[in-house]
Amino acid sequence: MRILFFTLLTLALFNPSAFAGHAEGHNHSDMTEADMQKTISGIESADHTIVAQINGLVCDFCARALEKVFGKRDEVTGIDVNLDTKLVTIGFKKDVDIDDATITKLITDAGYNVVEIRR
Amino acid sequence: MRLLLLLSAILVGLALPAIARPVSYPDGWTVMQMNDAFSNSLHIHYSPTAKYSVGYKGEYFRVREWQFHGVQINNLIHRWNKPDSQANLYLKSAAGIAYSDQGTFDNKSEAAGFTGIAADWENRRLFTSYENRGIYAGDIDKSFSQKARVGFAPYIGDYGDVHTWLMLQVDHAPSASDELTVMPLVRFFKGADLLEAGVNNNGKILFNFVHRF
Repeated sequence: MRILFFTLLTLALFNPSAFAGHAEGHNHSDMTEADMQKTISGIESADHTIVAQINGLVCDFCARALEKVFGKRDEVTGIDVNLDTKLVTIGFKKDVDIDDATITKLITDAGYNVVEIRR
Repeated sequence: MRLLLLLSAILVGLALPAIARPVSYPDGWTVMQMNDAFSNSLHIHYSPTAKYSVGYKGEYFRVREWQFHGVQINNLIHRWNKPDSQANLYLKSAAGIAYSDQGTFDNKSEAAGFTGIAADWENRRLFTSYENRGIYAGDIDKSFSQKARVGFAPYIGDYGDVHTWLMLQVDHAPSASDELTVMPLVRFFKGADLLEAGVNNNGKILFNFVHRF
């Protein structure tokens, strides 16, 4: 048990590189085709998209929260969350849209802050 | 009763693939199964909004051999959203029944409850948190404990990757035989699942598992 404790302590304090299998903060341009397919599948079928810059996006949980919130909207085909740029791309079906005030409310109600919405 | 609690915890743990925040997104359910040097607990909560959650809390305190069953409410008092970081302040409170099967308190039940604050700050590389809790269970138990964590991510993954955090936790429990303990732990986090494992300087194991729906 003591060995386990000191092993974990050593890993935590001195050996971060042992776990480093990823480049730091890579962007979509660095992603594999499979990664792109995974994250933008709902966006591909979108008629048009809107991009929102958001504060507070720090983890998968934040991304998942936004996916859940927008996933309930009939107008939305899917969203793509980029944790590096803090940009959320929202894909819409043809001839439908959500106004900026509603998008801002949905994101705020999910616990995050909208900086800017680009159309 | 203790067997029932443990069985429930094990069943939930096995039935679900495994985010430690006590409040989820609107309309989100969360299962938290946690085990540390002091207790084993199960917390299942529902978040009507991103501001609070309410749910069942069951906890077995191993040293004094008593268990708690009740309703827990977690309130997000404030969240600070910054371009590259987020900080949160929570109030966590519960009320219910304490049941003891130890010594003079054998088969004794008391009204019980606890309250405490939890605060955290994180960006994609660093993490720190503090949490305290005051417990009242009549003659069965009264205690105060607090813990603090620091952590860092050795690599930064994209959404959907397995995220790894290496952390160090310090526990302060004035009424425990080991008042101050230090624990290195590792956290794995992917999508809706979080798993933590560690062992403290006294050889006591931590194993936490969280799943969000």
